Amino acid sequence: MSDEARKPKDAPQGGAVDPRLLEILVCPVTKGPLRYDRERGELISERAGLAYPIRDGIPIMLPEEARKLD
Amino acid sequence: MSEPAAGPAEIFDRRLVRLRRDRAAATVARVAPILDAAAERLLDRLDDVTRRFARALDLGGRGAVAPRLRARGIPFVVSADLSARMAGRAGELAVAADEEWLPFAPGSFDLIVACLSLHWVNDLPGALLQIRRALVPDGLFLAALPGLGTLQPLRVALAEAEAELRGGLAPRVSPFPELRDAAHLLQRAGFALPVADVEELTLRYRSAAALFADLRAAGETSAVRARDPRTPPRALFPLAAARLPAEADGSLAMPLPLVMLTGWAPHESQQKPARPGSAQVRLADALGAVERSAGEKAGRP
Repeated sequence: MSDEARKPKDAPQGGAVDPRLLEILVCPVTKGPLRYDRERGELISERAGLAYPIRDGIPIMLPEEARKLD
Repeated sequence: MSEPAAGPAEIFDRRLVRLRRDRAAATVARVAPILDAAAERLLDRLDDVTRRFARALDLGGRGAVAPRLRARGIPFVVSADLSARMAGRAGELAVAADEEWLPFAPGSFDLIVACLSLHWVNDLPGALLQIRRALVPDGLFLAALPGLGTLQPLRVALAEAEAELRGGLAPRVSPFPELRDAAHLLQRAGFALPVADVEELTLRYRSAAALFADLRAAGETSAVRARDPRTPPRALFPLAAARLPAEADGSLAMPLPLVMLTGWAPHESQQKPARPGSAQVRLADALGAVERSAGEKAGRP
């Protein structure tokens, strides 16, 4: 497999987020910790039951834009 | 998703504010001179501070704040905006965030700057409290808000025109805070050494159309929740425009009084008023004055 073909698989979904941002981001609703799901490109707040999307490398930390976890 | 519990009255439609800022991300460069002037004046306050800052948050700066903070040698600058598109335009480290739901851990920053963004927030006391918590102790908060009197000639002209056409009024210009309220809010949110002052900025326009175009380009057209959902009468804006008081050369002067807020996250090193009764020396002795009794009911000198 060429490097070119492998690229989309290795690049995180939603674009790469600066690790320095991941260090300081918390759930805006609970102010609790977030788990970074690279596969889905989401920041998960277990306590709030919400997954915040990452688009073009920008974390969308808006409760109304978050996906509800089952 | 729960709404903020027992929140304050919702004056602004936040979803609409976000939409306006999303759209304005492509046009905001047109009003850069105004945003730059406000940012310049606000950040001038950093010159009076001997402290160096290393971790800053630009809250809604629309591209006028983050580059200036970096130019001052601050290595880590995060840009947050209600609109992801606007945040991405404003700086390299971008986050879409709501000032009423800040997503930052306590003590994430030593400087937070909100330049011309907090006037669309419903729960200003709540936002200020969250801002204070996102600061390290002795961290600095700077904000500029359009104050009372902003766009006043426009407010008056629209009200008069609408009363004439419809016999009623719809709020078309936002309510703006008074200086006194702003300082009090800082104190209420637990900021130390709060200061609020006003700097007058006057915008000059060749025509009312140019003013409306700027407001749209900046994403600043009305997002007041109680705004009239009906399409305004076609004659409203032309009539209001005709009523705007013009200068001798036909230009329009629009006041933009900026309420500048400064507050520090509390730290023990900061100056504080002494506890009542903690003085070691009598005031009269310090002043070299003779103390006289104020009457029988007053306590002994």
